[in-house]
Amino acid sequence: MIPHLTMAQLVALRDGDRSEPALADAHVHVATCAECQGELDRLHQRTARLRALAVMTPARDHFPAIRARWQGDRSHRFQRRVAAVGLAIAATLLLAVIGRDLVAPPTLDAEDQLETAISNSQLLEQRLRDFRPDSRVLDGATTEVVIHLENRIAALDAELARQATAEPAARLEREVELWRQRVGLMNALVEVHVTKASNVDL
Amino acid sequence: MDAMTLPNADTVIARAKQGDPVALEALYQTYSTPAYHLARRICRTTEDAEDVLQETFFEVCRSIRNYRGDGSIWGWIRTVTSSKALMRLRRNKYRDTDDLHDELAPAKQASHALRMDLESALERLSDTARAVVWLHDVEGFTHDEIGAQMGKTASFSKSQLARAHQRLRNWLGEEALT
Repeated sequence: MIPHLTMAQLVALRDGDRSEPALADAHVHVATCAECQGELDRLHQRTARLRALAVMTPARDHFPAIRARWQGDRSHRFQRRVAAVGLAIAATLLLAVIGRDLVAPPTLDAEDQLETAISNSQLLEQRLRDFRPDSRVLDGATTEVVIHLENRIAALDAELARQATAEPAARLEREVELWRQRVGLMNALVEVHVTKASNVDL
Repeated sequence: MDAMTLPNADTVIARAKQGDPVALEALYQTYSTPAYHLARRICRTTEDAEDVLQETFFEVCRSIRNYRGDGSIWGWIRTVTSSKALMRLRRNKYRDTDDLHDELAPAKQASHALRMDLESALERLSDTARAVVWLHDVEGFTHDEIGAQMGKTASFSKSQLARAHQRLRNWLGEEALT
């Protein structure tokens, strides 16, 4: 006796499911079995009744709420995007500044350089005064070096005085250069006095 | 079920993609009923179905730019709807009542036979079985599509469908053949 078709086989027959292994056999069986033919008809009928069930409708119009939520979401996403772009720009600028400083140390403009040089020169003069060189004894060779340095500093001071009447455009750079030289000479002068004093103390 | 036709569909969709609220509302007005019907057939309560409807059209508003026009707009919205409805089922973790139904007393089962209508029988199916029956037999999703949406295989969908029909057959009794 041929077994009746399972529901899985009936569904496969209904759907023409070719992946069902025994679909051809099922076709043959249902053609000769009134009971299985009846079940297949019931399956078709049930499916048709499912499709014919009453359409259910929503109780109210939800679109105003959906639109409000969507617009709020859009606004929120826009704000997030703006914030993200702002952060990205800030991060880029920060990286650019840090990167620039890493690649090349920051450079001062001419006026800052001049101010720095004058300030350094004044600090060295103060240090020299604090050292009170007139109260100390120098040997002949050291005295010659000191005189040489003081003469060069005096010449620089004369040159700086002349710069007061020079063309403003060219004056600044020249003054920076002169003050730097002065700082260098003052540094040397302090160094000579301190070194000599150390020697004396020893 | 067949969805209503959207007049000037191409124009409306193009405007909706640009964020035109009027076009988006036209989509809602055209497809909210079939979408709700689908959601209601999968979800157990009207409240859940209404929530799914809102989630669906919120997603439509947000993502319509991603609709490439490969299939019909209703096909796309239908997929969004079923996905949201299945998600709702998972979230609610409804108790799968398959086992409960199998354990019902025979006398009660017998009393249900012949008297239960299709609506009630459908309601009595487990969430998964009911969703598979509806998505496959009514909405026309393939087993591959249903399996993918459920995170299962096509075979899972097929076996759920066969089991569901067996149950419906038992509960509905000897349906009159016309």
